[in-house]
Amino acid sequence: MEALSSFWKRNWVGYFFLAPWIIGLIGLSAIPMGTSLYLSFTNYDMFTSPSWTGLDNYTNMFEDRKWMNSIKVTMTYVFLGVPLQLLFALSVALLLNKGINGVRVYRAIYYVPSLFGGSVAIALLWRQIFGGNGLVNKVLGFFGIEGMNWISSPDTAIYTLVILTIWQFGAPMVIFLAGLKQVPVELYESSRIDGASSIKQFFSITLPLITPIIFFNLVMQIIGAFQAFTPAYIISGGSGGPLDSTLFYTLYLYQKGFTHFQMGYASAMAWFLLIGIAFITALVFLSAKKWVYYQD
Amino acid sequence: MKTFTKLHSVSNNMFDIKQEKIKGGFRMKLKMLLMGLVSLFLVLALAACSGSSNEPTTSDSGGDTKTEDKGSEGTTAEQKPVEIRFTWWGDTKRNEVYNEIVDRFEAEYPHIKVKREFGGWGDYWDRLATQIAGGNAPDVVSMHQFYVSDYARRNALKSLNDYISEGTINLSDFPESAVNSGKIGDDVFMVAKGITMPGYAYNTALFDELGVEYPDLNWTWDEFQAKLIEVSEKLPDGKYAISDLSGGQLQPNLRYFLRQKGKDLFTEDGKLAFEKEDLVEWWTMWDELRKKGVIPDAATGVEYENAPLEQNMFVTGLTAITQIPANQIYLYQQQFSEGEIRMVRFPSRAGGENGEYIEGAYLSVTEKSKHPKEAALFINFFVTNEKSLEVFKVEQGSPASSKMSEFVKPLLDPAQARAVEFIQITVPYGRPAPYAPLGVNEVEQAYKDNATAIAFGQISIEEAAENFMKTAESVLNK
Amino acid sequence: METSKATKSISNVRVVSNNSYRTIKNLKGILLHIFIISVGIIMLYPLLWMVSSSFKIETEIFRNISFFPTEITFDSYIQGWVGLSGVSFATFFRNTIFLVTMCIIGNVLACSMAAYAFARLEFAFRKVLFAIMLVTMMLPFHVTVIPQYIIFNKLEWINTYWPLILPKFLAVEGFFIFLMVQFIRSIPRELDEAAKIDGCGPIKMYWFLILPLALPALITTMIFTFIWTWNDFFGQLLYISDINLYTVALGLRMFMDAMGQSSWGALFAMSTLSLIPLFAVFIFFQKYLIEGITTGGLKG
Repeated sequence: MEALSSFWKRNWVGYFFLAPWIIGLIGLSAIPMGTSLYLSFTNYDMFTSPSWTGLDNYTNMFEDRKWMNSIKVTMTYVFLGVPLQLLFALSVALLLNKGINGVRVYRAIYYVPSLFGGSVAIALLWRQIFGGNGLVNKVLGFFGIEGMNWISSPDTAIYTLVILTIWQFGAPMVIFLAGLKQVPVELYESSRIDGASSIKQFFSITLPLITPIIFFNLVMQIIGAFQAFTPAYIISGGSGGPLDSTLFYTLYLYQKGFTHFQMGYASAMAWFLLIGIAFITALVFLSAKKWVYYQD
Repeated sequence: MKTFTKLHSVSNNMFDIKQEKIKGGFRMKLKMLLMGLVSLFLVLALAACSGSSNEPTTSDSGGDTKTEDKGSEGTTAEQKPVEIRFTWWGDTKRNEVYNEIVDRFEAEYPHIKVKREFGGWGDYWDRLATQIAGGNAPDVVSMHQFYVSDYARRNALKSLNDYISEGTINLSDFPESAVNSGKIGDDVFMVAKGITMPGYAYNTALFDELGVEYPDLNWTWDEFQAKLIEVSEKLPDGKYAISDLSGGQLQPNLRYFLRQKGKDLFTEDGKLAFEKEDLVEWWTMWDELRKKGVIPDAATGVEYENAPLEQNMFVTGLTAITQIPANQIYLYQQQFSEGEIRMVRFPSRAGGENGEYIEGAYLSVTEKSKHPKEAALFINFFVTNEKSLEVFKVEQGSPASSKMSEFVKPLLDPAQARAVEFIQITVPYGRPAPYAPLGVNEVEQAYKDNATAIAFGQISIEEAAENFMKTAESVLNK
Repeated sequence: METSKATKSISNVRVVSNNSYRTIKNLKGILLHIFIISVGIIMLYPLLWMVSSSFKIETEIFRNISFFPTEITFDSYIQGWVGLSGVSFATFFRNTIFLVTMCIIGNVLACSMAAYAFARLEFAFRKVLFAIMLVTMMLPFHVTVIPQYIIFNKLEWINTYWPLILPKFLAVEGFFIFLMVQFIRSIPRELDEAAKIDGCGPIKMYWFLILPLALPALITTMIFTFIWTWNDFFGQLLYISDINLYTVALGLRMFMDAMGQSSWGALFAMSTLSLIPLFAVFIFFQKYLIEGITTGGLKG
């Protein structure tokens, strides 16, 4: 009793502020997560009660060629899409942070693609751009190069999705902008008086000070990209085609759960993914000690 | 604190506050912002609440199905108010039509209130699966051949046999084949709203322009191939006779082909009902057409695979013939200002059997429905009452009841009438067709994957057929 | 705009006597603008295409390859606005704005509280709880949809906004907690110390110091919550089926049916309308991002 009350005395402020989150965690997150973990050890078709199958779902995954392929596709997407999108977002944020005239208008314009979210209009548009008779091929044709059907060739389809991701770079850009705002102006002033070039300024002031934000964007984009669903779902109409070349991990998981009614298997896939993402995120967190600078 | 001074000396007026007031300035700004938000929210909350509670058709929100006593079933309290939920998939036009039918039902049965839920095809099935799994299934659901096995074989749907035999659902005007099309085993699990038959459609204007004779209503696969080759020779480069039908869904294309050979996709007890050689023959036919440039190359085919109707290959003029269900004739007709969209039967096999079987859009009652009797009444009204069919016309196929299908005839426009005519011509060819076993979705996936792999030249037809048989057998023997 | 002015005024001092340097700078500026604008056009293309389509006659949308409508018509807007069964898009907009406002309030309050705890307070299991928060973001939602649906069904909250709003008040979106943690951690501790000496307790500190100083993060949270809630349709699809409670996202889905005919004109027209509030909110709030508060001053 004594110990408890002194524990409470030391910690109540923290738990007070954390209270909504803890209630949410227990009431809204923990039960569904626990349920899905349980279901991952069962055969569950959504309509009849689950039956225990032990580790079968997990061992079956390793014989599932489509599952292996979906990992490959997702890895390609993550390792291309995330760095390119962040690089692009950061460059644009820096450009727009320079105080050029009309910056507000530009910023809004650059955010427009992200406003579309997963709208069907994007599917139509992407076909217009990357289809056999699309814009890209028309431009190539102008230079006498014969194009190809980018969006529906197994070798190139995934790259059109990577481009889609890069194109919707608004969210990390806004976060970078907000982060750049936290960099104190007078640091630039004093270094400019010292005669530092703008490139040097970037590397000695801007970059170190926004590392917490870069870190945040990196972690969130990795977590998000591994679970990417919408781009492939809208562009391939949920099929992940052609030849499974855009069959993202979560798209396959969705097919297994909602189309093939194998929610047990889908749950096992989800937990495998969770472990994978957690592992990579942990690596990023470990590396953060070396390159992220906090003020505190 | 020197920074702040410096900083604010260059900022605009709003921020030009004395150093000691800075914190207060922030506070003020935040307060203003929050106050603005809160007042906006209050106004909207009031508006939203009053808005929805004023609507005459709304009942109060939330799972108020529970407020109903479950004892209404079987008691004499017929007039006790009951609420059922009805859900369907469709576009805006269909939503108007079905809302009207439901309104008319409510007028006829004032004690039954029907809550409506709807969505596009994909959304519909995601939501329905979640609702049933979550223990909140609607009472009357729209059903389709693709999914009925999954739902009925997993005990999500109620057998309607009792309601049919006691006459709550009166199917006396339904042809037997139409009733049977909703059966799995001996149980009727779904009742046809509308029935339809698939076939091949073409636009007369294009054929006239090309100077090619229209295809014959009864053509064989040989004539089919000859016609395709003839058409494609007259078409310019980059246009094709027909899209690639070697893959995609198992039915109707492959299924007709197999049934004409005296086989089928699946046996009654859920095993494959065809051999590897049948599949090889089917895929070889399409592969030859592909090599001749009669059908598009794989990449072009995939590009249009998921295109909406308005943008598919036939509507955009990239193909001359297409395979559609007859009830869609008028949708296609609307897309063409010239010519008439006409349909012919599936090609037949010389000396073979008929491939036809009845397809349609159906209504089912869910297993856990608390008011199955009222749900059955609703289905009965929907498919047999003139007040309903007057609005329905041929919204999801020709009415299954022969009496009703005569009744709606004078109400149709020419394209819809052509659809009904085609359905009436082809229905008599129909033979019973067993429903797919559990796991059909995976089998279909394997079919589709292997067909695409052939099209892209990744594997030989022989290998693809081998792969398919292996996957299908392992799924079905589980 | 502080940054721009600050840097500008300084560079002006340095180049004031150097005219040729200035022309080069101008030229560079013009090139920069040309570059930004041309990339901007690529960014804007879909918007322009959609807006232009929404003014076309419906049959012309996919027929007429030209970007501009041959004849401007408002039919799609009229047809789309009507909605269904006497429930117009006005209701959908009202519902969405209500929903979005609630979500914003929930997210800003609950996530900032949690973030403050994680970033500034000392308590047992802090790191463990933080890790758990990250892990909750790593499970694809498709496998938790059904258990969640069952919970809300048991609570009899289906067909209400509770399943969409309540999670925000319980800080379920770790994204925003983490975001705010990162921002709060870059607020110098010296300010806390100063406030503490002035007699500020942790609650006062949160409200009067941390929240105002983390304003860019709060604004970012508001913008994202607004946009994401506005566009999210899957949750709304599952939990809302009464048309009187429909949101804009659901209203837009209504025009689409993969098995039949989609009302493209109405879809594009209403999508265009639905982008206006998004755009307006972004324009309005983004200035706080930029003219927001520079906090890191003390390290200088």
